[in-house]
Amino acid sequence: MDQIKKSILHLYPTTKFLVTLFLCISVFIVPGYLYAYSVLFICMFFSYLAGSFKEFSDLAIKALLLIVVFIFILQSFFYPGTHVIWSWSIFSIKQEGIDFALNLTSKIVAIGSSFILFFRITKVKDLISSLEALGLPPKVTYIFLSTLQIIPEMKKLTIVIMDAQKTRGVETEGKLFTRIKAFLPTLSPLILGSIAGTEERVLTLESRAFSAKVKKTSLYTVEKTKYDPIVRIILLILLITLIIWRVML
Amino acid sequence: MSMITIKNLSYQYPIVETDVLHDINISIEKGEFYAVIGSNGAGKTTFCNVIRGFIPHFYKGDLRGEILIEGKDIRDWELGDLSQKIGYVFQNPFTQISGVKETVFEEIAFGLENLGLEVEIIKEKVENVLKMLEIEYLQEKNPFELSGGQKQRVALASIIVMEPDILVIDEPTSQLDPQGTEEVFKIIELMKNKGKTIILVEHKMELIAEYADRIILMQDGKVVKQGLTKDILSDEDTLQYGSALPQYALFGIEMRNQNMDLGSIPLTEKQSISVVQQWMKKEGLA
Ligand SMILES: Nc1ncnc2c1ncn2[C@@H]1O[C@H](COP(=O)(O)OP(=O)(O)OP(=O)(O)O)[C@@H](O)[C@H]1O
Ligand SMILES: [Mg+2]
Repeated sequence: MDQIKKSILHLYPTTKFLVTLFLCISVFIVPGYLYAYSVLFICMFFSYLAGSFKEFSDLAIKALLLIVVFIFILQSFFYPGTHVIWSWSIFSIKQEGIDFALNLTSKIVAIGSSFILFFRITKVKDLISSLEALGLPPKVTYIFLSTLQIIPEMKKLTIVIMDAQKTRGVETEGKLFTRIKAFLPTLSPLILGSIAGTEERVLTLESRAFSAKVKKTSLYTVEKTKYDPIVRIILLILLITLIIWRVML
Repeated sequence: MSMITIKNLSYQYPIVETDVLHDINISIEKGEFYAVIGSNGAGKTTFCNVIRGFIPHFYKGDLRGEILIEGKDIRDWELGDLSQKIGYVFQNPFTQISGVKETVFEEIAFGLENLGLEVEIIKEKVENVLKMLEIEYLQEKNPFELSGGQKQRVALASIIVMEPDILVIDEPTSQLDPQGTEEVFKIIELMKNKGKTIILVEHKMELIAEYADRIILMQDGKVVKQGLTKDILSDEDTLQYGSALPQYALFGIEMRNQNMDLGSIPLTEKQSISVVQQWMKKEGLA
């Protein structure tokens, strides 16, 4: 079990991405909505193997459920159609609407869950490292990484500012409205502070030779594992089989 | 040829109406240790920014006069090339973090990665610097989660590891306790012994007296005095320019004013003991 988990987590980021890509493409090859919905369960299974079933399921359900319900309500009422199944005053649910909603939501669920799976089982550090190996400029990866690192710092800073306001007697807890009212004034020190920080950040990078015109090296690199080619070949075979099956049908 | 030659240098920040630096003339010699002193707002940090090329390459404004690094005008240097020539440790330790590294080890390695060194060499150099600054115990920590003093040491380590010829260090001990401060001075001395040229902004006169070769005294954007440490710090006149003197020098000057001439003005603890002993002998007190 542990072995499987390790092998999945250690797969090269682009291999993991190919899995995601394959799942996304496959829902457009296989007709009907049942398969597309089942991609969610396939992803759940993979996340279970990778040891993050709970985190994946929580996130996937939270993120996708709302969208699905929303689309269902909108489409089944407002999609033009003639087969009315149920109606009340001017509102009516039509078969065409339901079909369309099933079709649309199943694909959204499939694509959404396969991407969520990708980001659950791929470390940002690994992703960046593989992107750099592919030739993405360091400036772009820097912005990406620093943003990710700075968000938790900003969060901490917000708490500090909020605390400071609390000691000044500003109400920061309780009803949503009170909290929003307390949050807004923290924005200006937060944003001004971040802007002032940017100038110094640029100088810091400059001092560390970030703009030196040599090819950078990297202490941390992800390596391809022996499973990477196997997974890729399996994906390719599956894809070809699907296409042939679809064409023969 | 001097390492750095500055002639008639004046500078005005953008928008600001008046000059922050006025007509500065200095030459910095290779392998010497210069201490830049002066009151708050005297222009010390601005002076460092000029030497490092952040003025005029980053801060615009109006720069007049000449500043040559190894004979080549600062305006003709590429910023990227200067980073290998001149290491600059900023006054504020809290902003000197790359923001993309998860551990202190990786943070210190960042500059070397940018210089494209081989991974094995990087690891070796980082390990040496960690040992030299005695911060090995920090290497696995997140750089964001360090104390002010720890950040200051990591900032110093991150620059030293790149082995620049010139080190410009702006108040590296503001967050450090007395012991930490002394250690930083020892490290700077070590760098000097390796032949590096050092320009250090500091307020701690006792340590400057002990370690620096030469002093640049600034006030209101002007260099009001420059010369050998022993000359400047033993001169009562220096006090007029908003600077302090080491306690030992003040003691010597006070003795002289009380008509008890010690022969020379001591700057350090050791010198004080020896001149007082000699004086006591001369006066027949010992
Ligand atoms: N970015 C800037 N834009 C405009 N004026 C500035 C800027 N930075 C500094 N100054 C002004 O230039 C003058 C010199 O500042 P500088 O920071 O060089 O002094 P300092 O000697 O380093 O002081 P301290 O001992 O407080 O660090 C000050 O009057 C300051 O207000
Ligand atoms: Mg300063």
